[in-house]
Amino acid sequence: MRTKLMLAAWAAIALGSSAAPALAQQTIRVGWTIPAEESKYWMMKRPTEFPDLGKTYNIEWTQFQGTAPMTQALAAGALDCATQAPLSLSNGVVGGGLKAYIVAQHVYEKPGGFSVYWAVKDDSPIKTIADLKGKTVGISVIGGGTQGPFNMLLKQAGLDPAKDIKLVEVGFAVSEDALRQGRVDAVNMNQPFAARAEAKGGTRKLFQLSEAMPNIVHILEACRADFVDKNPELVKAYVRDITAGMKKALANRDETLKVVSEVMKAPVAVIDTYLLKDNDFGRDPVAAPNFPAIQKMLDIYAETGMLPKLDVAQFKHPTIVAPIQ
Amino acid sequence: MNALLKPLAPVLACCGLLAAWQLASLGLKNDSFPTALDSLRAIPPILTDKESLINILASLRRMAIGFALALSFAIPLGLLMGRSRSMAAFFNPLLMLIYPVPKAALMPIIMLWLGVGDISKTLVIFLGVSLPVIYHSFEGAKAVEEKMLWSGAAMGLSPGERLLRIVLPAALPEILTGCRTGIVLALITMVTSEMIARQSGAGNILFNALDMGQYDTVFAMIIIIGAMGICLDAAFEVIRRWLVRWSEPQFDMPLSFS
Repeated sequence: MRTKLMLAAWAAIALGSSAAPALAQQTIRVGWTIPAEESKYWMMKRPTEFPDLGKTYNIEWTQFQGTAPMTQALAAGALDCATQAPLSLSNGVVGGGLKAYIVAQHVYEKPGGFSVYWAVKDDSPIKTIADLKGKTVGISVIGGGTQGPFNMLLKQAGLDPAKDIKLVEVGFAVSEDALRQGRVDAVNMNQPFAARAEAKGGTRKLFQLSEAMPNIVHILEACRADFVDKNPELVKAYVRDITAGMKKALANRDETLKVVSEVMKAPVAVIDTYLLKDNDFGRDPVAAPNFPAIQKMLDIYAETGMLPKLDVAQFKHPTIVAPIQ
Repeated sequence: MNALLKPLAPVLACCGLLAAWQLASLGLKNDSFPTALDSLRAIPPILTDKESLINILASLRRMAIGFALALSFAIPLGLLMGRSRSMAAFFNPLLMLIYPVPKAALMPIIMLWLGVGDISKTLVIFLGVSLPVIYHSFEGAKAVEEKMLWSGAAMGLSPGERLLRIVLPAALPEILTGCRTGIVLALITMVTSEMIARQSGAGNILFNALDMGQYDTVFAMIIIIGAMGICLDAAFEVIRRWLVRWSEPQFDMPLSFS
């Protein structure tokens, strides 16, 4: 009797231990940041809206300061999926040996919508890009995603980005202040700070990134290739929810405002000035990545010497990509 | 008059600082430098928000774990180094090498090794606290008079017993000075460890607000973290005085509100 009990106990332990890895795989470690990831914010703050989330799989959310640290975390295997910019992801591939798939897209610059722009003061003598010669120009991240198209526009205007301007790093949150106080002569603006600055007046748009190319993809969702290959059904469920989250975000703006307000801890009134309006970034209705646009960006980065030539096909999984319905 | 002013001095210093801040902010008219009043007004919404309190408590939990682990490691090591030349010769160069490195700067590397969860952040706190505590424990143990140890040995105490019953109590004032420095460093590393990657914490509120340009919340969090530091320091000072009341100097320059 005692032997039987021991055997039963060992069997139970063995069953438990064999089930443990399978259960452990049902959690995806996801990196995120702010702003502009509405589908993920919905999944975070309204999980009951997603039938699989919390039931067939779980998400361990970790917030990061920008996309570059998430690239490192992906490359080190500390994250399974994360928000990425085309440049940070490519840097991970080139410098960190990262292999990843782009599974969804968060925001891009739709024609007629918001495009990251460089602003000057209303009374500034700077009227064209060429007038930036010898001036101090702010950019959110030196070597970041916006610098490729920015460099290209400078070159088109006959300026050498390395010699003809003094480039300084100014975060989007403080760019308006830096410009008004004269610490920079021109600075790049992004939402929601652009809407706030425009409401106050006294600044004007000098040029915007869409002049370098349309449909610039700002942020997308990428997952480690080894993780996707090992857990295809799990990642499919995740991408299905990102697709659903994007649909919900676009279909119910009032609720999206509340969701985003909860995530950003910013008043709805502030977010309401731009979110999902004409002066906001574009969002694909089903979060589908625009691979041709990403390829064009990679080509610009290669042309401006920021990256070697890369083929976007390496980031494309044959089946696991939004939209997954 | 002096007796009246002494207890009011910290309050007056605070009021003076707030008044100078208010005037500077009004004078500079800079969006990223809100007035003291605006920042103070942003405190109650943070302290009455359940999610914010959970965040702050999550940070404090990590800080307490990191601090406790650091003490349990650093005090015995410091004492051993103080009483053993070979231990000191082995560990001193290593510690001198690690001491000047900003512990928060290790976060990206630690994150790659240990992941983005609590372990990495706790380790950064542990490192931040350990070094001053080791140093002060080492100095405290080194300063113990040999005569006391000889007496202990003559009375039949083993080396371990001498360390526990003679060196530890004698070095306690110095160890506690290290712990006091450690508390401040724990608070600093607690926040900075949440700068790059975070799931919860006081840094979550602070850096989110910074990303969103909500400077009144940023400064409110700085005030809250500062207040946490004062409270922790005051509580620790009460414990310290109770533990080493026998070694208190007659006149002590007040370094904190305690």
